[in-house]
Amino acid sequence: MAAHLSYGRVNLNVLREAVRRELREFLDKCAGSKAIVWDEYLTGPFGLIAQYSLLKEHEVEKMFTLKGSRLPAADVKNIIFVVRPRLELMDIIAENVLSEDRRGPARDFHILFVPRRSLLCEQRLKDLGVLGSFIHREEYSLDLIPFDGDLLSMESEGAFKECYLESDQTSLYHAAKGLMTLQALYGTIPQIFGKGECARVRNGRRVPPDPMFCFQQVANMMIRMKREFTGSQNSIFPVFDNLLLLDRNVDLLTPLATQLTYEGLIDEIYGIQNSYVKLPPEKFAPKKQGDGGKDLPTEAKKLQLNSAEELYAEIRDKNFNAVGSVLSKKAKVISAAFEERHNAKTVGEIKQFVSQLPHMQAARGSLANHTSIAELIKDVTTSEDFFDKLTVEQEFMSGIDTDKVNSYIEDCIAQKHPLIKVLRLVCLQSVCNSGLKQKVLDYYKREILQTYGYEHILTLYNLEKAGLLKPQTGGRNTYPTVRKTLRLWMDDVNEQAFFPLII
Amino acid sequence: MPEVPGLQSAPSCWTTMCQDRVAHILLAVGPDLYLLDHAACSAVTPPGLAAGVSSFLQMAVSFTYRHLALFTDTGYIWMGTASLKEKLCEFNCNIRAPPKQMVWCSRPRSKERAVVVAWERRLMVVGDAPEGIQFVLDEDSYLVPELDGVRIFSRSTHEFLHEVPVASEEIFKIASMAPGALLLEAQKEYEKESQKADEYLREIQELGQLPQAVQQCIEAAGHEHWPDMQKSLLRAASFGKCFLDRFPPDSFVRMCQDLRVLNAIRDYHIGIPLTYSQYKQLTIQVLLDRLVLRRLYPLAIQICEYLRLPEVQGVSRILAHWACYKVQQKDVSDEDVARAINQKLGDTPGVSYSDIAARAYGCGRTELAIKLLEYEPRSGEQVPLLLKMKRSKLALSKAIESGDTDLVFTVLLHLKNELNRGDFFMTLRNQPMALSLYRQFCKHQELETLKDLYNQDDNHQELGSFHVRASYAAEERIEGRVAALQAAADAFYKAKNEFAAKATEDQMRLLRLQRRLEDELGGRFLDLSVHDTVTTLILSGQNKRAEQLARDFRIPDKRLWWLKLTALADLEDWEELEKFSKSKKSPIGYLPFVEICMKQHNKYEAKKYASRVGPEQKVKALLLVGDVAQAADVAIEHRNEAEMSLVLSHCTGATDGATADKIQRARAQAQKK
Repeated sequence: MAAHLSYGRVNLNVLREAVRRELREFLDKCAGSKAIVWDEYLTGPFGLIAQYSLLKEHEVEKMFTLKGSRLPAADVKNIIFVVRPRLELMDIIAENVLSEDRRGPARDFHILFVPRRSLLCEQRLKDLGVLGSFIHREEYSLDLIPFDGDLLSMESEGAFKECYLESDQTSLYHAAKGLMTLQALYGTIPQIFGKGECARVRNGRRVPPDPMFCFQQVANMMIRMKREFTGSQNSIFPVFDNLLLLDRNVDLLTPLATQLTYEGLIDEIYGIQNSYVKLPPEKFAPKKQGDGGKDLPTEAKKLQLNSAEELYAEIRDKNFNAVGSVLSKKAKVISAAFEERHNAKTVGEIKQFVSQLPHMQAARGSLANHTSIAELIKDVTTSEDFFDKLTVEQEFMSGIDTDKVNSYIEDCIAQKHPLIKVLRLVCLQSVCNSGLKQKVLDYYKREILQTYGYEHILTLYNLEKAGLLKPQTGGRNTYPTVRKTLRLWMDDVNEQAFFPLII
Repeated sequence: MPEVPGLQSAPSCWTTMCQDRVAHILLAVGPDLYLLDHAACSAVTPPGLAAGVSSFLQMAVSFTYRHLALFTDTGYIWMGTASLKEKLCEFNCNIRAPPKQMVWCSRPRSKERAVVVAWERRLMVVGDAPEGIQFVLDEDSYLVPELDGVRIFSRSTHEFLHEVPVASEEIFKIASMAPGALLLEAQKEYEKESQKADEYLREIQELGQLPQAVQQCIEAAGHEHWPDMQKSLLRAASFGKCFLDRFPPDSFVRMCQDLRVLNAIRDYHIGIPLTYSQYKQLTIQVLLDRLVLRRLYPLAIQICEYLRLPEVQGVSRILAHWACYKVQQKDVSDEDVARAINQKLGDTPGVSYSDIAARAYGCGRTELAIKLLEYEPRSGEQVPLLLKMKRSKLALSKAIESGDTDLVFTVLLHLKNELNRGDFFMTLRNQPMALSLYRQFCKHQELETLKDLYNQDDNHQELGSFHVRASYAAEERIEGRVAALQAAADAFYKAKNEFAAKATEDQMRLLRLQRRLEDELGGRFLDLSVHDTVTTLILSGQNKRAEQLARDFRIPDKRLWWLKLTALADLEDWEELEKFSKSKKSPIGYLPFVEICMKQHNKYEAKKYASRVGPEQKVKALLLVGDVAQAADVAIEHRNEAEMSLVLSHCTGATDGATADKIQRARAQAQKK
């Protein structure tokens, strides 16, 4: 059980248990000792479902990463490939299997496709002459992964790119499938709403946007799938009242702007992957007397961030400015709690104190971690450049000077700041101006090509194709109107400006 | 089969036996018995066989293959185990005529054995008892051994010889006092409105046997073939039940249901006269299968509905069978069959239209199969079959409809092999989703095809990008790369993307130039950006060339200043930096100079530039070089609140105490005003 999943209004442990059960069932099908060969991309998402201990219980003795040539030696009966259905991976698997066949005792090979079995891939395996080597070929429909008490994720990083750049709607299909699984467990959702548009590219030319395209795509697929599954009537009382489908394309602005919540900043600076963050280890060295500073850990500190941690649940969505005061308050509460021990007189009181000790120690550890993280973040947020960047972002979002070349962006390019930062700002300006004037756009593009290299002509073209960057057409900037009518901008929010963090 | 010694003509009798999952043949030649398997032939002698046997006339193996009976020319019957290891009993019927048939009669209830022997007009049941039971046969008859008895057919009759089940015996035995018998009697009296009903009932109840009585009546009803008798037994059971608390009703209900089904199939229209035990052994599923095989679809469906079987196992399955049969009716038109099937099946859950379609296709009715597939909601089933039937284009549109990209891919690859290239591309053209998927496929698997696709669509922009990519990935030689870029530039021009075309031409120029630089200066220049090329030139002291390059590529002044500033600071060529700073008025101001010197920890140089920083950034510059006092002065002079607090935040400890005071005073003064 993952406790943090049952805190929300819907107990997501049901889903987690369902996918875990499916995994166990598959593992048990392959009797005897096993080695799993992982598609590296999947290890992260799988980590959220099953730890190594679960695999071990089902006789998984070795784990490898899928790569070319031969498999590392392992004295096991079964070899299970856990992979995404991708042709290039099939080639590697075939190579593995073929080189394995030539030596040593016979093994049983199995393949588990995540999230979907693919005819295309099986055809490829057949062409390579290894399809018959696999005893079990199954699919593991890990579409929606329970992430937190109120959050499921498909952990599909490339979805936007696939949909909008490559017009490949595989991920929408998976989304629909995932929602069907969800409905099978939590009842059929009676109402579906949605918003989104997706300009389809036909023969290389843009066709007028087809309103609610992606959303409708998903909804239509769900209706189709429902027809396919009519055999198994769903009699569960629906847990969810409504389903709201939103297309990322509705709001391209938000992901371009810098995130300012505590969690957001951790992600901006260190990047959160499958709910884990890797942090520089120096700040987390154990503070012990005597051997302090002698051997600093060199490996990055890996922390899991989710609402299972009480403190983190409290501060994750707070503006970073507000985090400091919470942390200091918490520190006082905890040290006061530890002081209590002096008041404990009777044996009963001492016993009660001791029983609370593990919880208190966990709280103290958690506080220490987040204090360190907050310090790391503070170093960045107090830098002048961070402030300047934020100022520019906020100027753009409030519609100031969005139609001119911005001198901060110019300076960033001239100083070769990371390209991603420059691109985010340029795209932000483009979105806030309903596209850039041709002259401004060309200037930026030229500057970027000259500074970061001509190869980025492809990068820029891709951004244009996805609609993140575009020339202004029709000569009217609709953003200010949208901003006003939808009240996207709040002027008088307390925590908007950055105050130095006090701990 | 091995040779049998002494076998001249046909053996007098033989039978197959089964032991340990191996089939044997037992064969009689004169007085000898031989056991044959696939390899060997061995003579066997049944233990305890009476003397004087000169030939065997009949042999019979029991329904369970466990027992064997032998009939000899002396009218003697030997009964034993099929393994021929043990004799069970023997019987002498004194009839020497060879019997027409001899079969075992299974007696599930008692362990005793019985063999039924039939002659022309005589039937004899023999067993352990010294005397057999004889019956007269009116017509030529034939015996069939079954699970729980022997069926006797003749031209006009059909009889079943079996052991009377316990329950029936108890109830119907003459003067039986068994609880069941009393209950039946009680019920009869009750119907006659006689007080005897009560007496009988009391009698049973006093012994506490009412539950058994009810159970007996239910059971006996099961073994009855006459509905009237079934009814009266069930009525008795139901009557008895009234006097019982918490008697579980399921056995009664189930028996009523079973009997209803049994009576239905025993009807002569249907003609499946199963006994209750046979029906139970067979299971309802098998019975349904038999009905389906006899095409008794309506009855099968009625049974399913009556027994409330889950649709997937019951009604749907039968309908699917019906549909499969229906498609084989060649004289009905495709339209009518498809419509009839859809009308009956509708959206019945669990019916696989693709199975039916596959059957239709198997009968050579492709058109019908396609019509049926229209009703199939599962694209995963529908599409492969369409492909098999060579309706690839239809398969493609179905796959696209489903949104399952894997299916689309499968169809695409199929189409690719099936059609010639031109047709294939034309098909793609009308299916944008498939086209974009195929492009993705080509991008990873068949780059050349990708180019052809773009060419066909006159998609010059993508074609340009394609060539750009090729100039990095595919080409090693500089000439090849330039040629690829030239192709890209041409494509961009055609796409009316002037900017990209110009940028590409610039890149070609740059590549050539970088090549020349590498030849002349050594070092690595290829694939550096314009910006980095200039920087590298400055770093290697080639200022003139750097200037030239910057001019050629029209690097904006501001960026050029940044570039030079960074490069010179990296070189720590402070003298050149100073010269540069004085070459003309800096378009980026002088704060960057201060910053960069401080970054290189050269406070001395930094201070030089701090003085030249414009008033707006002066405070910042002074603070950077650590001149808090002067920063304070400037801030106060500017009367700028933000600047003053900035300075204040830089005041540390005792050293800046005086400065801090000064600012506080200035602030206070400003506030007063």
